[in-house]
Amino acid sequence: MRQQKWIVRDMPRRKFLEMGLKGGIAVSAMPALLSRLTSCQTGSLPPGRLGMDKEILGRVIAVALEQGGDFAEVYLEDRISRQIVMEESRFKSGLFGISQGGGVRVIAGNSTGYAYTDEITEEKLIHAARVASYVARNGGSIQPVPLEQAGRESFITVKQPLQEIADEKRIEMMERANQAALDYDPRIKMVLVDYNDEIRGRVIANSEGLYLRDELPQMFFIVLALSEDNGRRHLSRERLGMHMGFEMFEETPPEEVAERAAREAIAMLDAKEAPAGIMDVVMQNGWGGVLVHEAVGHPLEADNIAKKVGAFTGKLGQKVASDVFTMVDDGTLPNMRGTTNFDDEGTQMQRNVLIENGVLQGYMTDILSARQLNMKRTGNGRRESFRYYPIPRMTNTFIEKGKDDPADILASTRKGIYVQSLSGGSVNPVTGVFNFTCREAYLIENGKKTQPIRGATLIGTCMDVISNIDAVGNDLDFGPGICGKGQSAEVSAGQPTVRIRGINVGGSRS
Amino acid sequence: MNYTELSADLVKKCLANGADAAEVYLAVDRELSIQVQDGELETIQEASSQGVGFRVFVKGRMGFSHCNDLSAGSLESTLKQAISFARLTTPDEHNVLAADPATSQVEGLYDPAIADVAMEKKIDMAMELEELAMQDSRVTRSSGSGYGEGETEIYLANSNGLQKHYRSSACFLGVSVVAEKGEQKNTGGEYCSRRFFSDLKSPGEIAAEASRKAWELLDPQMVKTQRAAVIFHSDVGRSLLGGVISALNGERVLQGASFLKDSLEKSFASSLLTIIDDGTYPKGMASRPFDGEGTPTARRVLVERGMLRSFLYNCSVAHRAGTESTGNASRRGFTSLPGIGVYNLFVEPGTYSPEEMIAATPRGLLLKGVTGYGIDPVSGNFSGGATGFWIENGKIAFPVKGLTIAGTAYDILNAIDMSGNDVDLMQSFACPSLRVREMQIGGK
Repeated sequence: MRQQKWIVRDMPRRKFLEMGLKGGIAVSAMPALLSRLTSCQTGSLPPGRLGMDKEILGRVIAVALEQGGDFAEVYLEDRISRQIVMEESRFKSGLFGISQGGGVRVIAGNSTGYAYTDEITEEKLIHAARVASYVARNGGSIQPVPLEQAGRESFITVKQPLQEIADEKRIEMMERANQAALDYDPRIKMVLVDYNDEIRGRVIANSEGLYLRDELPQMFFIVLALSEDNGRRHLSRERLGMHMGFEMFEETPPEEVAERAAREAIAMLDAKEAPAGIMDVVMQNGWGGVLVHEAVGHPLEADNIAKKVGAFTGKLGQKVASDVFTMVDDGTLPNMRGTTNFDDEGTQMQRNVLIENGVLQGYMTDILSARQLNMKRTGNGRRESFRYYPIPRMTNTFIEKGKDDPADILASTRKGIYVQSLSGGSVNPVTGVFNFTCREAYLIENGKKTQPIRGATLIGTCMDVISNIDAVGNDLDFGPGICGKGQSAEVSAGQPTVRIRGINVGGSRS
Repeated sequence: MNYTELSADLVKKCLANGADAAEVYLAVDRELSIQVQDGELETIQEASSQGVGFRVFVKGRMGFSHCNDLSAGSLESTLKQAISFARLTTPDEHNVLAADPATSQVEGLYDPAIADVAMEKKIDMAMELEELAMQDSRVTRSSGSGYGEGETEIYLANSNGLQKHYRSSACFLGVSVVAEKGEQKNTGGEYCSRRFFSDLKSPGEIAAEASRKAWELLDPQMVKTQRAAVIFHSDVGRSLLGGVISALNGERVLQGASFLKDSLEKSFASSLLTIIDDGTYPKGMASRPFDGEGTPTARRVLVERGMLRSFLYNCSVAHRAGTESTGNASRRGFTSLPGIGVYNLFVEPGTYSPEEMIAATPRGLLLKGVTGYGIDPVSGNFSGGATGFWIENGKIAFPVKGLTIAGTAYDILNAIDMSGNDVDLMQSFACPSLRVREMQIGGK
């Protein structure tokens, strides 16, 4: 997950890094890089190009398969995005974006060809189809099935469509958040409110005869609060993100997001140096689930399994974790940030149990890896935009709730670290070695949360961490995030309060 | 299409539609990416794209919009969106555009030959690279190899009369492999990126490095939690100093969100530390003739013998700070507003060879890999995961994995007591090996 918004915003992404990352090679070649994971007024939408008729799409698919190949697909996208940034109590910038394009993919054996265009015209798409068909020049051939509209269950309901929201309402939510954070404590010196919404229209058509289209609304609201006292500083962060309409703020008022950010910024002003070495860790429910997202989720994405390099290769049906550990990826949780009605290849979203009571049950696949592994499609084929071909990605990933009372988990831990929230981290999907930076953490002494401690790193391997989870609470909760794997994806991560025995903590105190 | 004329024309259209000042940033890109897995072509991706970003000021308020459809109708409706969106923002006297008409001379940004090399040759290079990286018997699997290339043209015009353009190219060749021994797995990757195709390292050289990185950390041992010396190998310089660079961001400094905010013209690090930012370095991967809002790039000393010499500014942040832009406006393509960033960074090398540095270290860690965010630019804290080699009595004793290292920026940067002569000037973060006298190391 790419978490450090500041770094992402402020440092230039150099072209070679972009290329490396885009090529996907960086994911495995340079694990260190990984440690770095908007509405429109009524009438402002440009004339939709996604209404392109099925006959044209059918012709593009036919051209894509002219050289041979086993599968071809056309993906069209239309995105309207809006971002408003408030810093230091001023509305600093307003960004309005319109993006559209189409991509053509051809699969021949294990090879994928992909080409995209900014212009959604038959001519440009046919050209992209010819470029993408390069990989199929020696392949077998199939006959595309005529396109037919498919049905998909919906998991996203919208009460207040973003198209109908006046910008003044957006501004109002931001002002309310800003004021609430400043009012929390005079030591809050600066607040940054970052409001984002977007509507993404998708059309998917493929050589299996699938034709689907939909429109996906997204909201992401971020509050950063900077506290300062006697030369000590802490920059906190709290986020709210859903695939839903503007009613998101009725369910969670902006003040609540801001107060959570402010609370962390003040609490961490007193942080002292963290201890170093191996110790027990209790992780509070919610976004902490990002630890298993990284440490276990990425290694369970089927692309590295198909390449036979993934840490869980060949372990299906085996006991890989402790009995109390069950992990699920579920793209159907209503309106959540990782939820869609179907993935970017058109596969219906579903609930996928990955590990059940410690036994490995399945991987997360896209069309290609499902073919390679002879497994079913799980609805995890996702892409950042039409500029990328789909790869296996997580949706809403979490540790299933257990039976323990969270208060008992803490009380029964004599000594260790209590992690209230994590910034984010990364994993090497081949070795399973992960790292995390704590955002808000405390010492545990005699079963009680005591001294706050400064940003310590947690490191370990996925196999160790899931074998060493010995207590799972009954308080499952989620948090929203952005996951980076050469391309970014909206996800959520969740967990109940859990205890992990023996993680290496990188503190500066001996 | 003549993009120079188009961008100038679009500036005029912004003004005609009610903007008091306007900037047009137009980018045209071409990319090719090839990936090879197990001797087979895994993916090939090819595309061209373009887009334009409009930044407008209306009565001191800033609005921004972007689109990737360059038809006249779409451009007109998008620029109007920026103007109408500006009404949402707060007027700010510091909303200013670049005015310097100069452009820096930078040699070697564009290689016209890349596009002429046949696709088959590029695929073959990636195939050969993977094959060579798999030759060592300790290397058991491939995570894939790849070749990539890109060309970008930037056209910038604004209502101060600026009208600038440059073209750049880049190519990339890399591989990642896995060494296995029993239940142990270790990955090793290496890549090379250059502006010119003919400057790419040979597949053999890249393969040997990737292969070595994969097997050299097999059979690691664990050490006790302790304080000891840490030699940051030149490959991990960015992990050590990246947070320092982020803390020099002038906007962070004004907002109080930098641990170096009060350190200008003060000594904050060892006198062995000198850092130069150079946007004009010939063939540099991060070089360009002007920055993200049109200010000419320069070579600038940021840190001189441990003394902080300069923060980094774009035009509006410089205006607010009462100074001039340092030409460090960064831009992540046409969809983003100018932020603040750096170019090619050079850390002044010392006189010691890496071997001499190891020999001079009775006990400590030769750090080859760091995970985590490095130094936090706000608080100055450092904590990360560490891999490398353990040094005993001035000699490499055994590989280590799963350690942590931590400290505060002041403690670490002031404890740099040796710097190496092993700097690769073609790295965009060119840093020699640096020894930190003592750091907290977390182990068993």
